[in-house]
Amino acid sequence: MRGLRRWADRHWYAYAMVLPVVVVVTVLVLYPLAQGVYFSLTNINEGNIANPVLDRPATYDWVGLSNYRKVLSGDTSFGGFWTTLLRTLVWTFSCVVLHYGIGLLLAMLLNREVRLRGLYRVLLILPWAVPAFISAFAWKYLFNADYGLINYALEAVGLPGPVWLGQSDLALVAVIIVNVWLGVPFMMVALLGGLQSIPSDLYEAAEMDGATPWQRFVHVTLPGLRSVSSTVILLGIIWTFNMFPVIYLVTGQNPNTRILITYAFERFFSGASRDYAIASTYGVLILSVLLVFAAAYRRALRSQGEVW
Amino acid sequence: MTIDAATVQVATSAEARGGGGGARRAARSHRRRGPLASLGLHAALIAASVIAVFPVFWVLVTSFKPDARAVEPTPKLVNQSSLDNYVDVLNGSKGAFLSWFGNSVTIAAMTTVLGLFLAATTGYAVSRFNFPGRRGLMLGFLVIQMFPFAVLIVPLYNILLALGLQGSSIGLVLVYCTTAVPFCTYMLKGYFDTIPREIDEAGRVDGLSPFGVFWRLVLPLARPGLAVTAFYAFLTAWGEVAFASAFLSAADESKTLAVGLQVFVQQNRTEWGHLAAASILVAVPAVVVFYLVQRFLVAGLAAGSVKG
Amino acid sequence: MAEVRYEKASRIFAGSPPVRAVDQLDLEVSDGEFLVLVGPSGSGKSTALRMLAGLEEVDEGGIFIGGRDVTTLAPKQRDIAMVFQSYALYPHMTVAENMGFALKLRGVPKTEIRSKVAEAATMLDLSPYLDRKPRALSGGQRQRVAMGRAIVREPSVFCMDEPLSNLDAKLRVETRANIAALQRRLGTTTIYVTHDQVEAMTMGHRVAVLQGGVLQQCDTPRALYERPANAFVAGFIGSPAMNLKTVPLTDEGAVLGGHTIRLPREVLSVASDEGLREVTLGVRPESMHLVGSDEAGSSMTVELVEELGADAFAYGTIDVNGTPERFVARVDARRPPAMGQQVTVAVHENELHVFHAEDGSRLL
Repeated sequence: MRGLRRWADRHWYAYAMVLPVVVVVTVLVLYPLAQGVYFSLTNINEGNIANPVLDRPATYDWVGLSNYRKVLSGDTSFGGFWTTLLRTLVWTFSCVVLHYGIGLLLAMLLNREVRLRGLYRVLLILPWAVPAFISAFAWKYLFNADYGLINYALEAVGLPGPVWLGQSDLALVAVIIVNVWLGVPFMMVALLGGLQSIPSDLYEAAEMDGATPWQRFVHVTLPGLRSVSSTVILLGIIWTFNMFPVIYLVTGQNPNTRILITYAFERFFSGASRDYAIASTYGVLILSVLLVFAAAYRRALRSQGEVW
Repeated sequence: MTIDAATVQVATSAEARGGGGGARRAARSHRRRGPLASLGLHAALIAASVIAVFPVFWVLVTSFKPDARAVEPTPKLVNQSSLDNYVDVLNGSKGAFLSWFGNSVTIAAMTTVLGLFLAATTGYAVSRFNFPGRRGLMLGFLVIQMFPFAVLIVPLYNILLALGLQGSSIGLVLVYCTTAVPFCTYMLKGYFDTIPREIDEAGRVDGLSPFGVFWRLVLPLARPGLAVTAFYAFLTAWGEVAFASAFLSAADESKTLAVGLQVFVQQNRTEWGHLAAASILVAVPAVVVFYLVQRFLVAGLAAGSVKG
Repeated sequence: MAEVRYEKASRIFAGSPPVRAVDQLDLEVSDGEFLVLVGPSGSGKSTALRMLAGLEEVDEGGIFIGGRDVTTLAPKQRDIAMVFQSYALYPHMTVAENMGFALKLRGVPKTEIRSKVAEAATMLDLSPYLDRKPRALSGGQRQRVAMGRAIVREPSVFCMDEPLSNLDAKLRVETRANIAALQRRLGTTTIYVTHDQVEAMTMGHRVAVLQGGVLQQCDTPRALYERPANAFVAGFIGSPAMNLKTVPLTDEGAVLGGHTIRLPREVLSVASDEGLREVTLGVRPESMHLVGSDEAGSSMTVELVEELGADAFAYGTIDVNGTPERFVARVDARRPPAMGQQVTVAVHENELHVFHAEDGSRLL
């Protein structure tokens, strides 16, 4: 009994501080998740869902794993899961590699003593502050085949101006460009913070040891950024994998830019009968893919001695 | 925590609080750069800044042009430019812009305040108290990042309906908080970790309760971290479309800017000039918030992602 | 004003196996006393202090302040003030706000706070800095603010956790004297933690030596120096450290460098009662001196001479049971031996310390 009292005495304020979040999260995440998983095992759609406005009871049925069978068969009428997954991976990988590469480059430039550094930093972070749908609008306008500035520039130097946002893989390239533009500032800021936390005497020691700039980068900068990098790359991958507004707002329901999350949303929000069941199935699959990935990532980090 | 680490952290967080004093960092580049290297550095930074700013700049330019001039195949900077588009948008002839604006401000402000409160209390508990369930909570937050929220709209809708919050801004704010709080908590936990525990202990000895320590010592010291978190929470709510269109009542005057503008886009596909003007009006508050917090961004985000 | 009592107080850190950071500590500090807790890092001295302050839980036993059981009370209910090693000044408050914060929390009227802060500031030469933020102060000034914050409270006990270790050597010596004088003037019971035995010896009315969470000995500095309770205390107190060597016993004493050091009869009889073949012999460097080569003494090969001005210390080897062992001896600073020289060292036999070779306890 004394043990319990002490346990409560010791931890009650921690629990009191965590409680609001736990309540909100449980109500708004765990319950919807459970319901989403349940939906994926039914044939629920707009036509048979309970509608309190019309006072109509639910009439959907339990269909077991049939939604998963349909989706995982790769049938194109259910979004061609495997090709879409592959496109999602291409999209995620290209975006994150470019985010990280460009972000690191810019962070290293900004980490030098350079005049107007503050101004450059503000300008470079700006894309982060612009709401996504406005960025999407801006880029859609720039990419427009007829009066967009990009094609105007290309034609001015004698190159053909393609239809960027049409039914071709160019559309995927275009949305990747937009997303890279949007995502670089976050990486840059995080990595800049990481660079600033590397003690300068490490560079001085390396210089004393005769390390070339490249060797300093490989042996001082990159190891110094490891813990920042492992965090932001993981977050970057998760966020990009589920990044639906950019694609949806720039190209709409274009099959050439379809990734898992946009297809789920398409299924969910459009069509004559909104197919909540298939959308939920996709949701569950997306979460599963990410969970497996995160577990593997964590394991890989741990095997390298990174505690996380 | 070892004593050395604690004192170093006093130094770094004091520096961060000072708004990024460069004394420690300045040591980084003793050696003079050649003029050519300087030129290259500036050229690279200028090029990157232009790319970062240009899409927004182009929207700004377009926002002054009449709709017909905005779609000319040979774009010009100034083309019968005037403030007419802004006048039209603001006087309501293109939708209840001002009431959308008010709704957006209310919802974003509520999300910011509530999100900050939730993330700060949780972040502090996780940073300072070693309570059972702490690791699980942090892992749970990571998993929430992976949530395909877009496909959970139906279950979320049901929950909000059951709670009587469907159609109200409170419900929407709660949903935004759910998506923003996990990352905000990570950031703030990292920032709190850089505030030495001795400060808390001194406060306890001086007569504060654990909550008093949090409120009167830790929060004032965590301002850079709080600024970044506020920025993130604000952006989450400010530009979001999908949830806002699903969870707010369909009445025109209860829409947010993002939703209203989305409808506007769908109905007026050709009014690029007016769209641009509306976009600029939407972007301005976000950019203002960004400008207010930008000097804290590096310090605030760095602490969060370095510690993961 | 109050006395402090630890009663079999333990702090156990979870783990496998659990670590007893402070193990069954029994300690009484009388009212107005300046007690120093000293020990190497990891000895539990800071933990013991933090248990008193309420920053660390007491897992077993209890702690009493002025006869009141404070074992489970929150720090603010204990009427103590603490000075931290890092000072832990509130960076967002001015010096005056830092010093007056505890009083403000207690609801003391503003004018009273102001006069108490001013008084303490005068005492500590801080008056010109009252409106500054801590980051605009030097290390020594910050240290004084931390002291001031404790003084203003007028607590019944001061807890000080290595308050001088972030100062440079010169300032540390100066501040050491100031703190001791201040404590004498205020007469407040003080528990002071340090790893520096010189600080401990110069400041404390009594010094408690901890090692591995266990109290080794608590006594006046002089008693610790003259009669250390065990080999650990003997080696820890004194600089340079006492020479402690395990030597085989003969009928008369022990052989060092070809010379028999006579040990008192009582020691030899205790040793033979316990069936000991060898003992740990402790000789302070200042109990050894050089003698002429024709006089009786142990022969030592000098390897290094440290000249400190007033003193000089000769480091060398003396043969113990066939193996050369390192010894330090204080020598005349005006006539130090040369390196490599063979010298003869004599020992003041009434200043010898003899310890049990295995458990280190004092045999006499």
